[in-house]
Amino acid sequence: MAATAASNTPQENLFVRKATGLLRGWSVRDAFIYAAFSINLITLGLYIFSFAPFIPDGSLIWAIVLSGVYLVFQAITYASLIAAMPRAGGDYVWVSRVLGGGLGFVLACTGWWFILWHWVPIYANILNIEVVAPLAAILGLDSVVTFFSEPAGIFTASMIVAVLASILISLGMRTYARIQQICFYGGVVGLAVVFVLLLVNSNSDFISSFNAEAQEVLGAPGNAYQKTLEVGGLEAAGPTSLAIAPTLLLIPMIVFFNLWSNWGATLYGEVRGASDFRKNIYAMGGALIATTLVGAALLALISKTIGWDFYYAANNAYWSGLEGAPVSAWPYPGLLAAFFFDSPILQFILVAILSLWFFGWVGSVFLSSTRVVFATAFDRVLPEWAARTNKNGVPYAALALMLLPSIPISYLYAYTDDFVTYTLDATLVIAITFLGSAIAAAVLPWRRPEIYSASPIARYKILGIPLITASSVLFSVFLIFCLYKWATDDVYGVNNPQSALYMTILYVVAIVIYVVARLVRRAQGMDLKMVHGEIPAE
Amino acid sequence: MIFSKKAPSKRIFFATDIHGSETCWRKFLNAGKHYEADVMILGGDMTGKALVPIVSDGDDRWHASLLEVGHQMTGEDEVVQFEDSVRRRGYYPFRTDGDELQELERDERRRNELFHKCMLDTVERWMRMADERLAETSIGCFVCPGNDDQFEVDDIIIQAKRVELAEGRVVELGDFQMASTGWANRTPWDTYREEDEPQLAERINRVVSEITAPPERTVYSFHCPPYGSGLDEAPELTSDMRPKYAGRSSVPCGSTAVREAIEEGQPALSLHGHIHEGKGSTRIGRTLSINPGSSYEQGELLGAVVNLDGGKSVKRFVLTSG
Repeated sequence: MAATAASNTPQENLFVRKATGLLRGWSVRDAFIYAAFSINLITLGLYIFSFAPFIPDGSLIWAIVLSGVYLVFQAITYASLIAAMPRAGGDYVWVSRVLGGGLGFVLACTGWWFILWHWVPIYANILNIEVVAPLAAILGLDSVVTFFSEPAGIFTASMIVAVLASILISLGMRTYARIQQICFYGGVVGLAVVFVLLLVNSNSDFISSFNAEAQEVLGAPGNAYQKTLEVGGLEAAGPTSLAIAPTLLLIPMIVFFNLWSNWGATLYGEVRGASDFRKNIYAMGGALIATTLVGAALLALISKTIGWDFYYAANNAYWSGLEGAPVSAWPYPGLLAAFFFDSPILQFILVAILSLWFFGWVGSVFLSSTRVVFATAFDRVLPEWAARTNKNGVPYAALALMLLPSIPISYLYAYTDDFVTYTLDATLVIAITFLGSAIAAAVLPWRRPEIYSASPIARYKILGIPLITASSVLFSVFLIFCLYKWATDDVYGVNNPQSALYMTILYVVAIVIYVVARLVRRAQGMDLKMVHGEIPAE
Repeated sequence: MIFSKKAPSKRIFFATDIHGSETCWRKFLNAGKHYEADVMILGGDMTGKALVPIVSDGDDRWHASLLEVGHQMTGEDEVVQFEDSVRRRGYYPFRTDGDELQELERDERRRNELFHKCMLDTVERWMRMADERLAETSIGCFVCPGNDDQFEVDDIIIQAKRVELAEGRVVELGDFQMASTGWANRTPWDTYREEDEPQLAERINRVVSEITAPPERTVYSFHCPPYGSGLDEAPELTSDMRPKYAGRSSVPCGSTAVREAIEEGQPALSLHGHIHEGKGSTRIGRTLSINPGSSYEQGELLGAVVNLDGGKSVKRFVLTSG
């Protein structure tokens, strides 16, 4: 029997009767928006790009482009998993159904639940440096700027993040989806204004604007541009340097920004085929490539107008806490572009519009986690109460499981020095979870042949190897490279014994929860083996 | 108490919305033995949604398309193999030729007749299969057609020896009683068994009024989930029937009549389906409400194993993915 690609739509290939759940195709544009929001150039991107001076010989632009292009394999892997098992639960469902319930729980519990507590202070840090501090500075509220740079301010911002995320989730997915869409379009307008400002102005325009506005808004001394270069300047490669090894070193750093195109993975629909698979690739891969190109273009414009040496020097001065730096604020490119406006009102408006990238994204710190809590509670690993909702559908128990632990963690982040290191594991732990899903994807055709052969991805092969296997192996290689570098290279700040111990504790806690759940359910006569054990069809 | 291994007085296995999937039906028939259940219940929507034409090209050569993949076949063995793969997914294969295919595309009435024939033939075959497979067991098997199932399905189930039709009546599950209906509130698809909420409330009240067991020994099997329970969250649709916001926005679309019946009757357990994405469990007062969801296209039989012990509330259950 020979199989070929059919060019017809599914409706032309079969007759469909009127039955519940038969829908037309979902919009690639909508899915693209969500994926682009997840690989958030403004929040995650600009934040992590500012650490690039710690690997000064690498090319930031090439690192973004190379990793962005390579991570299309991630998009293919996840699009394949969605096509094969398109129901809610994401990584937890895929790993638990293919590799086993225990592994699925431990990886999802750590990667989608525990570690997201540690993202709260990271989100708060981004809120402070991209939203609160620049807006307060423009308004001349120096005491606010100072407060939010101190431990109490960082803790306060963390609580704002946690409460905002909880409110957005409590509003329900319908309202949250609308808020996200408004924020996306508003944020794109703000980004477009930044592009225009950087495009039409020259480096000398920027130097004079920066010197004037840094003095006015940030209280810097005169000629702050030159003084920043003198204090923070380092021997950095250009943005498009071809130094391969240091550029590759930047990639494990950059994934903090571009590893998340799969964030909102589950889509709905029945009686569909390969077109949905392709749509998922277009949405996730398209958002990845588009964000990569926009990010590269933004950095090129920063290089042209703001100056690459200045960009690196300012970030180096900020993160290294160099004495004598004329500006103590984080060199937020949005604020730097706003300095082209003389008017504080216009400056405020631009930074405020750019902040939509934050407010549309902030709910993501808890949203996926609540879904994982639900999925594990439905599988009876977590207690039944973990999936409870109130009359308005608010998942208060799952939210409490996210919100409450994030409070002491945010406190430790704000008030202790060492704990910041542990939050740097935030990307690493999720990467391990993704690695679990990639392995599940690689072996799917053999571990669950019925599911694989019944899916629209079964027709895609490369040199006789299933596409899902090929793409997931290549994605795994990428993740293993990042994990290796994180574990062995000091520059990422996570390869210390305390960090390893802390991570180990997270995994041990997850294992203990699973083992206790198994024992309790078995004592109740409800062996959790039943959850995933396949019923023979014959 | 929670750690005691209390023997249940009745273990039930519930699945729903298998929509014509041959694999899911076969798994359902084996589920009782697999999960050591006393009773198996299929909650509705057992019939498929699509016909797949296998078109003759002459000289024992055929072509067809499944999941947007074209298939060319030669000989009876390859055609049978393809037909099996179509059935596994929940669709109905039929052999035809180019002329008849064109006629079917033009003539909706003929197409509907063919659909009905394929569906009913399949249900008949499934009932024969159930009679064979369950003949040597003592496991009870109840089927209650859902809103997507045409009425003739009931007549075929009634003829089966080892399968009982549960629609619109109260059946005995040992010391427990179960009231069932596959009817639902209105859907955008205008399906066979749907009606306005007041009529649905009357229908439910009629069957519930026949219950004589106390609430803690009562089960409701209503295909449609209770409104606002979380078991009824489905993708919000645009006016042209596309999922809004790429499927991320969901809205409750269950029945208020079902919810009121549960709130009033407070059965130990209520079983639902209908909304495939609404997998989960929740409590409405003392009632444990379950929607195991559906992954029929993947050949996965989603279900629920519940131990009923007649206590104040059901505590021992697990949602399964078989």
